[in-house]
Parts: sequence; structure tokens; C-alpha cells
Amino acid sequence: MPPTSRDRAVPRRVAGGRRAEMLAPFVLVAPAVLILVLLRLYPLLLGVNFSFTGDGDRDGAMVGFDNYVDLLQDPLFQGALRNVGLLVLLLPVAVAIPGLLATFIYLRVPGHRFYRSVYFFPAVLSPVIVGAIFNLLLSFDGPVNSILGAVGIGPVDWLGDPDVAMFAVVGVHVWATFGMALVVFLAGFATLDSALLDAARVDGASLTQVIWHVIIPSLSRTIQFVFVTTMIGMLTSMFGLLYVMTSGGPEGSTYLPEYYIWIQQGQMNRPALASAASTVLFVIMLVVGLLQLKLLRRAGRED
Amino acid sequence: MSRVRLGRWLLVIPMGLLALATIYPLLFTANVAMKTRREYILDRFSLADSLRFENITTAWTSVGMGRYAVNSVLVVACSVFLLLLFGSMAGFALSQLRFRGSNALFIGCLAALFIPFQVIMVPLARVMADSGLVDTYPGLILAYVAQFLPFTVFLMTSYYKTIPAEIVDAARIDGNTVYGVYRRIMLPLGAPALLSVGILNTLFCWNDVLISLLLMPSADHRTLMVGVTSLRGQYSEDIPTFASGVLIAAIPVLAVYLFLQRQIADGVAAGSTKG
Repeated sequence: MPPTSRDRAVPRRVAGGRRAEMLAPFVLVAPAVLILVLLRLYPLLLGVNFSFTGDGDRDGAMVGFDNYVDLLQDPLFQGALRNVGLLVLLLPVAVAIPGLLATFIYLRVPGHRFYRSVYFFPAVLSPVIVGAIFNLLLSFDGPVNSILGAVGIGPVDWLGDPDVAMFAVVGVHVWATFGMALVVFLAGFATLDSALLDAARVDGASLTQVIWHVIIPSLSRTIQFVFVTTMIGMLTSMFGLLYVMTSGGPEGSTYLPEYYIWIQQGQMNRPALASAASTVLFVIMLVVGLLQLKLLRRAGRED
Repeated sequence: MSRVRLGRWLLVIPMGLLALATIYPLLFTANVAMKTRREYILDRFSLADSLRFENITTAWTSVGMGRYAVNSVLVVACSVFLLLLFGSMAGFALSQLRFRGSNALFIGCLAALFIPFQVIMVPLARVMADSGLVDTYPGLILAYVAQFLPFTVFLMTSYYKTIPAEIVDAARIDGNTVYGVYRRIMLPLGAPALLSVGILNTLFCWNDVLISLLLMPSADHRTLMVGVTSLRGQYSEDIPTFASGVLIAAIPVLAVYLFLQRQIADGVAAGSTKG
């Protein structure tokens, strides 16, 4: 046999063989391709099309940008967009916490194996379960307020005060997901050259200096990855928490685009408006994704 | 040197407190589930006076969590089976066989990873309704397969790329068809990846609430997580039963985590480093 490469081995031998063999690759990918085209690609196009049609009396009629105008004038959607802004502001905190903890675990704080598995465990729980548990913990006479009371801080109406509720929900989301980002950071640390750390230690660098001058520059790709995935997670996986903990309240203060889409589709029976909101969410996600590409490319140039 | 070492010991305090904050919520819930209503109202924090499973039995039978659990197991098992089957077939073809359009298909799968469910859920509900699949098991299973297939195909393709082409060649010389290579060589060789991807998909499907709320409206077809959301209104006065329902939904996941935490963490890490 002549030497073969992965690219050419099979087709060459198949060329003289039976037709069925030539078709085999297509048969193997067919189920996946069919499902993705019918249940992801087609709905995506259908949704963009929906967003330019009317709801209710004008069902099916093309209405141009009417839905988008309605959307931007809706105080609930404005609130949802403001909350997206809040998430962007809180993003550095949500990334720094798992980043720091991963650093400590990597530097082998006593008990690091234990911390690693304990911190990761909320990440496997459903947001619905997490939300239900925190409904108990954050209730007015619940454990969190008792602890605050013990140190002399008055009870907080965590889920009933419009100024506090969104922070409470985001805080619970961070509690539930920092373990996921922690594991990603630890995977990044596995690629770190330990000689760099040893050198820094021999030179007498302090912990802060090690973090600042060795770890952050070496892990820039991982840090960017965690930034983007954390942002996407905040935009697309808080539905369960919002649904169970606040249902968008109090006074509509905990809306996010995904919850708005759900309400307009399910409760208000306005699928076209919901599709417009979906399209806006998709654009936000695209911007996040493109930003990632840009950052990665810049990081690539520095290498 | 010594400063770093001292710093490391001081870190144990905040890290220990954080570990406590991570575990305590679940312990609190488990404790509440063991209490009587009276006991809970009198004192929220004291330990339950005995291991009492009446609330759990109530939640399992009269609240219907048992019925919902059966629905969840059925839907998740079928979804994960199909995900692994279709994902490994496509992953094998995309990594080891060269054919027209294979690159485009792989890039298409990657692109589909970035379409969140929320973006397509309104039209998907319409497509499902038009095909008569709303409120049926096959409908929900198909939706889960569609949702998690891009990730599955992506990881299976990356994994199969690490298998040398010579193995496929040797099997072909021995007279195997392409399907024979898939069944006899690729499926067994892919076992570690199938295990990781299978566990992650099981968690994703089991923990989902949005897709099943959208596609399984009738009370009879509820999955376990939708069951938890319906507990909130019904049992706001009976917190121990509420906590028991939550515990029933959490226990299977916790059991899986205790036994397979290494594989779960490795799967997450593989998804990130190959991305």
C-alpha cells in the first residue's frame, strides 16, 4: 500500500467501489444536518420574517418596522435593555471571582482539591432548583436576613424591592455559575508554563505581583473566553431564575430580553413582537461574538 | 517566599467561608424538607428532630413529582441516545472522511452553536404546532436534540480528529464498509468522549425548564423542572413540602455529580480549550 493520508485514503479506494460506499459520508451526516436545518436554521429565518409582520388583527400582514418601534417604546423592554447594561457593568466582577479562586487553587492553597469540587457543584444544578432554594434563603424572615441581623444590618427585601431585586438575581446567578468559569480557568492554568512561576518565586515576587505580571498576561486568551461565555450565559441562561424568583417583578425591574420574549409569546400572545425582541437579542449576541473575534485576533498578534 | 506562604494560609479563611456558602443552601433545604410545618414555623434554623421522609413521600405521590420524574427520565434518555448516535455519526464523517462540503458543514455546526434558544423559540413553537408535535414526547425530544446537537457534533469531531487515519485505513483493508468502521471501530474508540458528552447532555436536558415549558403545556406531560416551578404557587404555605419537591429534583443531579465530577469538569474544560 502507498502511504496514505487521512484526506485521501478513503475516497481513492472508494472511487472504484460501490456507489453506497461513496454515499456513506452523506448518510452519516444526514440526520444531524436535517435536524439542524429544520429546527434551527429555518426557525431563525422564519423568526426574522415574523418580526416584520403584525400581531392579532394584522396577523400575517407585513408591517415594516412597526414591531421594532413598539418594542423601543415599551417601558418593559427599555427596562430589559437597561438590565443588559447593568450585566455588562457587573461582568468584571463575575469574571474576577472565579479567576481569583482558580489562581488560589492553582497555587495550591491548603485544601485546594476540596474547594475545587465544592465550588463547582452548584453549576450542575438547574437554575429552577437554585431559584427555588434562594426563594427560601432570601425570604424576609429567611437565613440571609438573619445573618445580616446578627451583624446589625436591618432586613433587606431582596426580591420585593425594585432597586435590589435585579442585584439579588444576578448575585444568585453568579453563585450558581462561578464554578463553571472556575473549571475553564483551571483548564487554562494547565497550559501555563510553571517555570515562569518558579522564576517569579525565586525572584521573591509577592502573590499580587505573580498574579499581575505572570498569570494575567499568560492567560489572556482564557480570560477573554470566560468574559464572552459569562456574558452569553447572563443573557441566555437566567430565564429559570427570573421565572422562579421574581417573574419579572417587582414593578418590572427584573426583566431581561429573554424573559420579555417569553412573556410576549406566551402571556400576551404577541409572537411578532416577541420575534422582534428575539432579533434584537440575536444582534446583541452577534456583537458579543464579533467582539470576541476581534479581541482574539488582537491577542494573536501579540503572541 | 515566606510572604507567599503566609498569604496562602490566610486565604483558607475566605475560601472556607465561600465553600460553606456554596453548600449551606442545599443543607438548609434538606433540613427544611425533614421538618413538620409547625417545626418550620417555630424555628427555621434548628435541626429537624428526626429523619422524616413524609414530606418527600407527599411530594412524590400527591404533588405528582413522581409522575414528572418518569417524564423527565423518558425524555432525557431518548434525547441523549439520539444526540450520541447522530453526533458520533456526523463527527466520524466530518473528521475522518473527506467529501464535498464537509468543511462547510462543520462551520455550519459551529455557527449553530451561537444561536441561543431564545432567539428561535417563537418560530420553533409555531413549526412544532404546525407539525402536531406540541405536547408530545417526540416533539420535546426533537427540540432537545436540535438544541444540543451542534455542541455534540463539535466535540465528537474534535475527538475523532485525534484518532490516526491509519486505523481507519487498516479496517478498510480488512474489508469493512464505512458503516462497519463506524460501528466496530469508531463507536468503541469514541467511548471516553461519548461518556463526557453524554453526561453533559444529560445535565443540560434534565435541568432545562424553558424548552419544556414552551413545548409541553399540559400538566400530565410536565418534566421535573417544570414541576418545581409549579410548586411555588401551590405550596407557598407548606414550605417543607415545597423543599421536598426541590430536593427530589436536585438529588439525581447531586448523585451524578458525586460519582462523575471528574468527567463533568473535564467535559466543560474540553469544550472551552477546543473552542
